[in-house]
Amino acid sequence: MSVRFILRAGDRGYSYLPSTGLNASYVAGHPDGVITRHSSFNFHEYQSGIPGLGVMKVFGDETFTPGGTGYNMHPHHNFIIMAFVLGGTLTHINTIAKVDELREDDYYVFAAGSGGKHSELNIGEQDLHVIYVWMLPGQLLAPLSYRRNRFDRAAGANRITCLVGDEQGALPIGQTVKVSRLLSDADRTHVYRAAKANGIYTFVVEGDVEIAEAILTRRDSLALEGEDKIEIKVRTAGTDILVVETKL
Amino acid sequence: MKKYLCLGCGFSYDEARGLPEHGIAPGTRWVEIPDDWVCPDCGTPKAGFEMVEIPYWSEARPA
Repeated sequence: MSVRFILRAGDRGYSYLPSTGLNASYVAGHPDGVITRHSSFNFHEYQSGIPGLGVMKVFGDETFTPGGTGYNMHPHHNFIIMAFVLGGTLTHINTIAKVDELREDDYYVFAAGSGGKHSELNIGEQDLHVIYVWMLPGQLLAPLSYRRNRFDRAAGANRITCLVGDEQGALPIGQTVKVSRLLSDADRTHVYRAAKANGIYTFVVEGDVEIAEAILTRRDSLALEGEDKIEIKVRTAGTDILVVETKL
Repeated sequence: MKKYLCLGCGFSYDEARGLPEHGIAPGTRWVEIPDDWVCPDCGTPKAGFEMVEIPYWSEARPA
C-alpha cells in the first residue's frame, strides 16, 4: 500500500466568488451573494495543486449564500458532473429541460456528453453546502443525461453505501469509478474493498478517522493506491466520509 | 492525431476534426494552434487543456 498524498483542509485551493465585479456574468444572485469553493485539485486559478486522481479532476467543497447565489447557465461537454448536497437546497436547471431541487443527502449525476448547459442556484433561505465532483467520461460526446438519487441515512448508518457506480441502488456512469459514503458512530472500524489497481480518495466531510496510520479531521483527505482492503477507523460519533475509487 | 479536453468545461478538440466553425481546418495539430487561443465555450487558455485518449461514444456503438 502506498499513500499518494494527504491533503489537509487548509491546504486546498480557495476561491471567493462574489456575484458582482469580474464574476457578474458567471455568478448569479443578490449583490451580496458569494460562492466559496475549496478545491482539492487543480482548478482554474488554483493551478499549483494536485492534478486530480485517475479520472477525477475536480473535487470542490462549496458554499452558496442565499438570495439566488450560484452559477448562471453555462456550457459543458464530456465531463460527468456530480453534486452531493450536504445542507440547504440546490436548484439545478439543465438543457434536458430538467428543473430539479435537491436537499441534504440528495445527489445527481449530470453527464454533459455531446454538450449541455446547467445552472446551479441557492434560492433557499439557508446557506447551501454542496460537493461537486467532476470525472472524465469513458466515451466522448455521449448523449447528455441527468439522474438523481438520495442517500438514505437510516439504511446507510454504519455501513459503506455506494452512491455512484455499478452497484444496486447506485447511479452507474459506465466506467471503473465508484463514489461511496459512510456515516458512522464512534469507535468502529469499517473495511472498504477496492480493486488493487485503482486509486482511492477519502474525504472527511465531518468527524475524524484514522486511515493508513494517518489521522484525518474535518475536510482533510487522503489518496491511496495499490490496496484492496482499506481500514477506516472512526474516532468520533457522526463521522461522515466520501470515498472515491477510480482507475489510475 | 490526438484529442485534447478543456479542464474548465470539457470542450474537446480533435486534431483530425479541427474546428472549421472557428476557422481551424481538420488535421490542424495542437502545436499549430496559437498559444493565446482560448476555449471557444468557456475562455480557458490553451494551456488549461489536457491530452486524452478516450474513444467517441459513436465509435463504441455497434454499426
